[in-house]
Amino acid sequence: IPLSVSPAADPAVISPQDPTLLIGSSLVATCTVSPDFPLKAEDLYWTLNGRRLPAASYATLGPSTLSVALARLNGSRQQSGDNLVCHSRDGGILAGSCLYVGLPPEKPVNITCWSKNMKDLTCKWAPGTEGETFLHTNYTLKYKRRWYGQDNTCQEYHTAGTYSCHIPKDLALFTPYEIWVEASNRLGVAVSDVVMLDILDVVTTDPPSDVHVSRVGDLEDQLSVRWSSPPALKDFLFQAKYQIQYRVEDSSEWKVVDDVGNQTSCRLAGLRPGTVYFVQVRCNPFSIYGSKKAGIWSDWSNPTAASTPRSERVAGGCDPKGGEQNTTLRRELKQFFGWVKKHAYGCSNLGIKLYDQWRVWLQKSHKTRNQV
Amino acid sequence: STGDSWGIFTFLCAALCNLPALPALNCSEELGAGQSIQQTYDLTRYLEHQLRTLAGTYLNYLGPPFNEPDFNPPRLARVERVPSATVDLDLWRGLTDNARLAANYRAYSRLLCYLRVLDGQVGTAELRHRLAHFCASLQGLVLSIGGVMSSLGYPLPTGPAGPPAPPGAPVAPNDFLKKMDDFWLLKELQTWLWRSAKDFNRLKKKVPPAVVTLRLEARGF
Repeated sequence: IPLSVSPAADPAVISPQDPTLLIGSSLVATCTVSPDFPLKAEDLYWTLNGRRLPAASYATLGPSTLSVALARLNGSRQQSGDNLVCHSRDGGILAGSCLYVGLPPEKPVNITCWSKNMKDLTCKWAPGTEGETFLHTNYTLKYKRRWYGQDNTCQEYHTAGTYSCHIPKDLALFTPYEIWVEASNRLGVAVSDVVMLDILDVVTTDPPSDVHVSRVGDLEDQLSVRWSSPPALKDFLFQAKYQIQYRVEDSSEWKVVDDVGNQTSCRLAGLRPGTVYFVQVRCNPFSIYGSKKAGIWSDWSNPTAASTPRSERVAGGCDPKGGEQNTTLRRELKQFFGWVKKHAYGCSNLGIKLYDQWRVWLQKSHKTRNQV
Repeated sequence: STGDSWGIFTFLCAALCNLPALPALNCSEELGAGQSIQQTYDLTRYLEHQLRTLAGTYLNYLGPPFNEPDFNPPRLARVERVPSATVDLDLWRGLTDNARLAANYRAYSRLLCYLRVLDGQVGTAELRHRLAHFCASLQGLVLSIGGVMSSLGYPLPTGPAGPPAPPGAPVAPNDFLKKMDDFWLLKELQTWLWRSAKDFNRLKKKVPPAVVTLRLEARGF
């Protein structure tokens, strides 16, 4: 049988109980011992977040009432509120009050939204400034169709990070939406600027599927990439453009191939022989229902790996070194020819181009010689 | 060691079931119960471990002095909503299997309810995530205990699983008292998990081999 006791049995009462305050404000709190308890004001002391407050800040307001003065309060140490506690001399807790000290929220900013295959809408935003209000701040994403009164509230939060929300259905196409975010905490409310968009302007899709990377015969410097367009595109009148990025296995630098167009295959050239490459493809649905606008790039497909073949021929010992020498030599030659052009008017045929042609000829004859 | 006794028991069970003179022993039920008890024991240890992390995070969220190691506030005389694990030692020893299991079942059902309420109110996303995970595991424990009771033929305790709400009295009249309630909820959870480990250890020793030995003696083997 549960014991039900009236609140008067609490040993003491603190006032104010659980106040909300602006940073920098001051507060005078009082602790009044209940008449049932044999304690006097001089038997009491205060702590804030476990730290004893100096007796100099206390004042006796009555036989069983002690006050404490807190000046220029800092932002709350934890979002659940600072713990201001009234103790009896032996350390026992008589009563407590949670202080919520902070700032009102700032306007949320940078609202960006995207729709997956025109079926839903996900938006994310950033809190104003660094977002440190010291108080728990609630964010609500709202949206409505322009010219059609009713406000709607987004329900599914944190789907794409802390400050995000997902609207899964009942979205109309060919109509502008107004979207905004309201931030609220104990000290106030702030509303972001309204963003206006049409779902068709922010469409993205799934990454391409079935990405295959294979060698091109024996060619050492090429790989062929093939993929399938995302299935969702079939349902809507999208065209698609693709982008490929690839990198060498032990490098973190991606090279991007931008002009793939709407084909579902591409050949990468100029690669290093005998090297493992990681390749990813992504898709952008554009020209939705005939508009020329681009959509939003999909995520990259999972990386696919393949290696270029390495030929049997032994790499000439001189080649790598020679390459380094060539660049310095070439630079010097360029400078020389530049000087010649300026000061010796007759030799206009001499130039770096001629030197390059000579180098190509040199490499070709080098190769045929080695293949024998 | 548990494997060996398990093997012996299975052999005995099979042997007994094959003797025509004996009434068929329903081996599967005792087998089920034994395994369930071990699982339940393991679950309480796992939850105990999980609780340590959860409590640490939660008490830090409440802030000092709640997260200080020697913090021991008075349990103010208000509505006793959380069932207490502490019990007289002789009383505990003398509990029947049914009573022992029922006490555990009731306690965790109630504790789960209070934890779920907490989940709805708590501030940070990290905490909500941890709490949700813990509640799921705790739900598993309740089901596991229910399973043990069923396999031993005991009825599941009935009655309100939810927190009793006396009309007019608020659950916690102010935020500080609510923090104290939360502190005691976690403390009580901890105590119950310690106690349950001992409860299930005791049950482990009592159920399969003891049952079989008794029956052998009765038949004059």
